[in-house]
Amino acid sequence: EKWAATRPKYPPTTLALQHFDTAYSAELGQLWPSVRVALLSERKYGALLNNFSHHDVQADLEVQGCRDFVSSADKEAQPCLQEESSCVAVRESDVGAKQQSPLPLSLNIKCVVFPRGDITRFKPARPDMHGLLGYYLMDAASVLPCLALDVQEGHSVLDLCAAPGGKTLALLQTQAIRFLCVNDASVSRTSRLRKVLHSYVPKQFLTDGNLRITSFDGTKWGEIERNSFDRVLIDVPCTTDRHSLMEDDNNIFSKSRIGERRRLPQLQLELLLAGIEAACPGGEIMYSTCTLSQIQNQSVVEQAICLSRENHGIRLEVVDLRPLTHMFKKTFHFAPSLHLGEMVIPHLAANFGPIYMCKLKRLT
Amino acid sequence: PLPSAQHNNALRPTAGMPDSALSLPSLVDMGFTDAQAEQIHEAVCKVRGGSATKHALSTLTALFGLGFNPSSVLKMLQKCPELYTVRESQLQQCINYLRKLGLVEGSLQRTLAHYPQILTVPVKTIKHVVLLLREKCLFTVQQVADIFRDSPAIVLEDLSQTEYKFQYVYFRMGIKQAEMVKTRLFRFTLDEVRCRHCFLERRGLYQTPDKRGQTSIINPKLDSILKIDLDTYLSEIANASAEEYDVFQRLMARECQEQDQQYDSIEAD
Ligand SMILES: C[S@@+](CC[C@H](N)C(=O)[O-])C[C@H]1O[C@@H](n2cnc3c(N)ncnc32)[C@H](O)[C@@H]1O
Repeated sequence: EKWAATRPKYPPTTLALQHFDTAYSAELGQLWPSVRVALLSERKYGALLNNFSHHDVQADLEVQGCRDFVSSADKEAQPCLQEESSCVAVRESDVGAKQQSPLPLSLNIKCVVFPRGDITRFKPARPDMHGLLGYYLMDAASVLPCLALDVQEGHSVLDLCAAPGGKTLALLQTQAIRFLCVNDASVSRTSRLRKVLHSYVPKQFLTDGNLRITSFDGTKWGEIERNSFDRVLIDVPCTTDRHSLMEDDNNIFSKSRIGERRRLPQLQLELLLAGIEAACPGGEIMYSTCTLSQIQNQSVVEQAICLSRENHGIRLEVVDLRPLTHMFKKTFHFAPSLHLGEMVIPHLAANFGPIYMCKLKRLT
Repeated sequence: PLPSAQHNNALRPTAGMPDSALSLPSLVDMGFTDAQAEQIHEAVCKVRGGSATKHALSTLTALFGLGFNPSSVLKMLQKCPELYTVRESQLQQCINYLRKLGLVEGSLQRTLAHYPQILTVPVKTIKHVVLLLREKCLFTVQQVADIFRDSPAIVLEDLSQTEYKFQYVYFRMGIKQAEMVKTRLFRFTLDEVRCRHCFLERRGLYQTPDKRGQTSIINPKLDSILKIDLDTYLSEIANASAEEYDVFQRLMARECQEQDQQYDSIEAD
């Protein structure tokens, strides 16, 4: 092999690190070194429990020292969360802060994690007697946008950029969705997504009547279907910071993909705009990424709010997710005081994220 | 107080020396207190093999000959009981070789007091270490002497580990021999060095210098990475919490272990 001869002087992972050093030391300041070392070290996973599986994996995993971070959320910060209560809600507990309405969360989503500082890895999930896997390993912070989307009984939901399907699976755990639209522009990734769904969800939940899987360009969704979904998840393609630092293959920082990388914020904006249009008035939209970049996060949301009003006359309200950060501060590190949305930042003792999320509600 | 010349004369082993040479009274004669003499006597008796007495005697002679006082001698024997069974020729060759290396009086004694085990190491083994330090790591004669004085335990370390540690610090950290010697690099394990360095590197606080020796940040000195306690390292150099470093150490250990396994399996292919 002559990899040594063909290896570029600056591999994409190096270029990514140089880029992040400049951008993120400006954005995160003092926090950057601590986030940097976490990004460059082994990440932690969470096991999204599959309610459709017959294995009692939760008990098994708890014996190994894991716990469901959702149900063990900080009770102080959410006085009305009780074990059997259907009211999973939080009230801003900060004294002096203006009274906020409770933040409702999607129900029945469970994700177990090893405790803070524990670096034990999960074993691969095994199939039960029906061939369904007991859990799906994913970044535990990726569960937060799904929780915060607040899927309720009878909702129709659109997952606009869904492959490989981790968040789709989380949404399906609620068993509340009347109709789910799953889309991803990439045909090969869509077929991967299909496989994932079939390894986790029984066939009767995957009929044409309750599920549609498509491979459209999400930016064009507005031409297909407007004002129709109660909930829309837009988990956009981004610089996937962790991946870009660790893997030279398929890296968006490689020289040949400079154009694609530069166009990301525009693509993200168009996807978000399409998602907003697809939601019904009163419907809720979750924008999420796995990058720390302000340009791909807050700036995209800001522009989308503006353009939705100017071009489509859609008025939007930003939903305050601070209660969420209070509830889950024992499990995740959140970036302090973003002016728009919330962000889980990696930390060695809780090496999840980065996950940015911002929730919007369509007023008109 | 040094034992008198008369005592040293009395100690010179002669053929067919009776066991009584190491009797309690003769040990007391050498300058040991009653309690010390008893400890030595007991230790010698415990050592198996008929020649123990003979070797013990020559060891005592040699150590006194180097100017150690009875309580220092006892301490060295406690640190390294193998000294009771070391052949006189081994001992002498070793001492001569260390002198030849440039360990002058004073530093020779300090080295031996600190690490008497070195006297049990065959000269051939020490020579291999010297060869490595001189020819593969390009330390000067003086630097090698300094390394042996400050980190004598290097003689028993695995040669390839020593070489790898040098290469790591030289190439990855961009540090020259003189600074390694000054920091007493060889007192630290490879894991310690690697962990403290990688932690800084991943935090963006340390860069490998390029071909011209340049970096875009100012690297901390090796001294301030290794020669300070963990708390100071964390608060003043790494700017990190103890929790972060604790997790990092465990992650690094696993990373290195898995990398080794990977190389092993590649070699096996
Ligand atoms: C961050 S990933 C989604 C991860 C997924 N939500 C999950 O949790 O497993 C972004 C996805 O967007 C898809 N994508 C890229 N451009 C798109 C477009 N124009 N329309 C729809 N999907 C697109 C990519 O194929 C990729 O699978």
